[in-house]
Amino acid sequence: MIPLELYILLASTMFTIGLYGLVTQKNGVKLMMCIELLLNSANINLVAFSAYQPNVNGQVFALFSIALAAAEAGVGFAILIALYRLYGTIDLDNINTMRW
Amino acid sequence: MYADYAYLIVALPVLAFLLCLFLGWNLPRGGGFITVLATLGAFIVSLGIFTETYPHEIVHQSMHWFANFNVGILIDPLALVMLLMVSFVVTLIHIYGNGYMNGDPGAARYFAEAALFSASMLGLVYADNLLQLFIFWELVGLCSYLLIGFWYRKPSAAAAAKKAFLTTRVGDVLFLAGIILLYNNLAALNLDLKAGEYLLQFPVIYAHITQIPADQLTLIALGLLGGAVGKSGQFPLHVWLPDAMEGPTTVSAMIHAATMVTAGVYLVARMFPLFYAAPYGLTAVAAVGAFTALFAATMGLTAFDIKRVLAFSTVSQLGFMMAGLGAGAAVGAMAVGVSMFHLIGHSFFKALLFLCAGSVIHAVNTNDLREMGGVGKYMKWTMYTMLIGSLSLAGFPLFTGFFTKDEIILIAYEYGTAINFLPYIFLVVAAILTAIYTFRMWFSVFTGKERSNYGKHESPWVMLGPLVILAVFAFGFGVATQSNFYSYLDSNFEHYDVDFAELSAIGGHALEEEHAAAEGEHAPAAEGEHGAEEEHSIPWYIHNLPILIAIGGILIAGLFYWDKIKKFDPSQATGDNDPLRRTLLKGYYQHEILTGWFAETVVYGTALICNMIDIKLVDGWLNWLSAWVMGFAQHVRKVQTGVVQNYVTALVLGVVVLVVVITLAMEVGLV
Repeated sequence: MIPLELYILLASTMFTIGLYGLVTQKNGVKLMMCIELLLNSANINLVAFSAYQPNVNGQVFALFSIALAAAEAGVGFAILIALYRLYGTIDLDNINTMRW
Repeated sequence: MYADYAYLIVALPVLAFLLCLFLGWNLPRGGGFITVLATLGAFIVSLGIFTETYPHEIVHQSMHWFANFNVGILIDPLALVMLLMVSFVVTLIHIYGNGYMNGDPGAARYFAEAALFSASMLGLVYADNLLQLFIFWELVGLCSYLLIGFWYRKPSAAAAAKKAFLTTRVGDVLFLAGIILLYNNLAALNLDLKAGEYLLQFPVIYAHITQIPADQLTLIALGLLGGAVGKSGQFPLHVWLPDAMEGPTTVSAMIHAATMVTAGVYLVARMFPLFYAAPYGLTAVAAVGAFTALFAATMGLTAFDIKRVLAFSTVSQLGFMMAGLGAGAAVGAMAVGVSMFHLIGHSFFKALLFLCAGSVIHAVNTNDLREMGGVGKYMKWTMYTMLIGSLSLAGFPLFTGFFTKDEIILIAYEYGTAINFLPYIFLVVAAILTAIYTFRMWFSVFTGKERSNYGKHESPWVMLGPLVILAVFAFGFGVATQSNFYSYLDSNFEHYDVDFAELSAIGGHALEEEHAAAEGEHAPAAEGEHGAEEEHSIPWYIHNLPILIAIGGILIAGLFYWDKIKKFDPSQATGDNDPLRRTLLKGYYQHEILTGWFAETVVYGTALICNMIDIKLVDGWLNWLSAWVMGFAQHVRKVQTGVVQNYVTALVLGVVVLVVVITLAMEVGLV
């Protein structure tokens, strides 16, 4: 059985990559992908803990989280498509007219 | 049997209101016949109840409404005579209205509003609790507003309607305050009420007056009097009544002479035990009434608009009724009978006079007495019916007004011997003036030469019929019913076991009690026997003075205005610059004082100051606060850069800081 530490290591690596991408990237689609990384790293943790401590609660939460991620991706991409039609770009630096 | 259908008295006119409102446009003459039939139905039911209950029964039906309140019907002698009078007079006026409003494009609206008015007035009369009475009271006020402003495209009519509504509102607020005070006082007693009894029901109020503190009673009585003053056009809230003549003449006859304005008098009569128990309650009523009677009579003397003469006369006669009730301080519950007798008699002859005036205006097409003259040649029926009405109003012997008004003057004399002669003197002078202004009007309209080229034709029979019927009542009602009427109404408060001796102890009428005792157990609730008592308590010259007043007044008017015996020219009797004449012509400068000075200077000035305080102080600090918050926010909002990366960075840094702080805290052992 693969030790728990490896799962946690994988998850935290993914989380860090996602966070790094979120802070540095300007492209809207890349941001969406980074958010998926963050969510999935959390899912890995949930499933891993659930497997090591015989209890399905974690997997149930993971399922919820996946459903939520799907919904979030749907809304997010819809917004991005609308932005692209309006501005011809999805570079978020250019889209700041609603700030104040 | 009829008592089971008592609700129909209100329901039928309400039905007529709905029918006329929605279907009247498609019916001949605006559906006026529906309104006539509905009020006729109400009259028949009232008459049925009268024959069933006369003279010793009352009808009381009641059902729970909400919380501490109920809706109910209370038909006692006091309510019954009002029901009969209102439904009867209103029916006749609606018949007349069918002729008078014929051809008016708003006829359907007129008949709908008139039906609603009939319903609310009838509902007001037989309400069994004060709250219900107040609701109908307001409805009556609303109908009055609608009907005065019936020709709403005419600016003066719209203004008059507004004036009537706002002026009576002052009284209504006082009335409501009185009701609330009464309710609070009754609630504070923690009464153990039986099932079906409610705090504001009249029988409950009557039964517990003695337990309310005397000073509270006075406050309540003054509040209720305020309402009555507003509705019945007493000084100082009388200003709306003469202006209310802007509506159709039928409205003036129906609302501002016969029925609605009597609501105030009815209210005081209905709450008479409370007024009787309240120290100064009836004294205030007598003072207001007597002053108004004289005040309005003097203005009636100089008005040139035939309807305004009648309007001032109404105000004056309502003053008589109020003063009659006020005289109850000396003579006890008998005053209710006397005052209500005048009220009923007055509705007959005043409705008659107004309808006659309407008939004249209909033909002549002017309201101005100076443009009439000699109309009698062309309108015989109108002339003679109006003569009957005028004789009755002037108090000519054997006419209704003679019995009703003179009885008030007599009990005012008793009030005089017991308390204060001022109301009596006022009333006597007002009575002389009544005879003078009534016949000034009659002579100016029907006798003499034609003073302008007016329309010369008699009115149609649909209008003359009601005139003849009303004339019969204006002549014969007094002599036919006098003795029975008093004993019937005097018994009114016996149904509720009101002990006037106990009440007078609270009200401080001890003095008059002695006076009454000296006369031989006369004062409280004297049933029918008072007639004999009066004979030896009032000197003969006081007893017969009213006859002299009526005939003398008519003669004086004749000397000025009847061309056959004319001795004086009214325009030469006083100089043009005579201050008294100018004051009267200007109506005591009421318009100048009330509108010009009070409304436009005092009220407007106060309003300006209040407005300043509101803007600078109340709104001021609030505006300053919001401006400060806005300014602060202007700086803080820059934090929102619109760059997602900044937000994420801030978020991550925040989490890191939190983690570090919590870890440190755990290390140190704080958590």
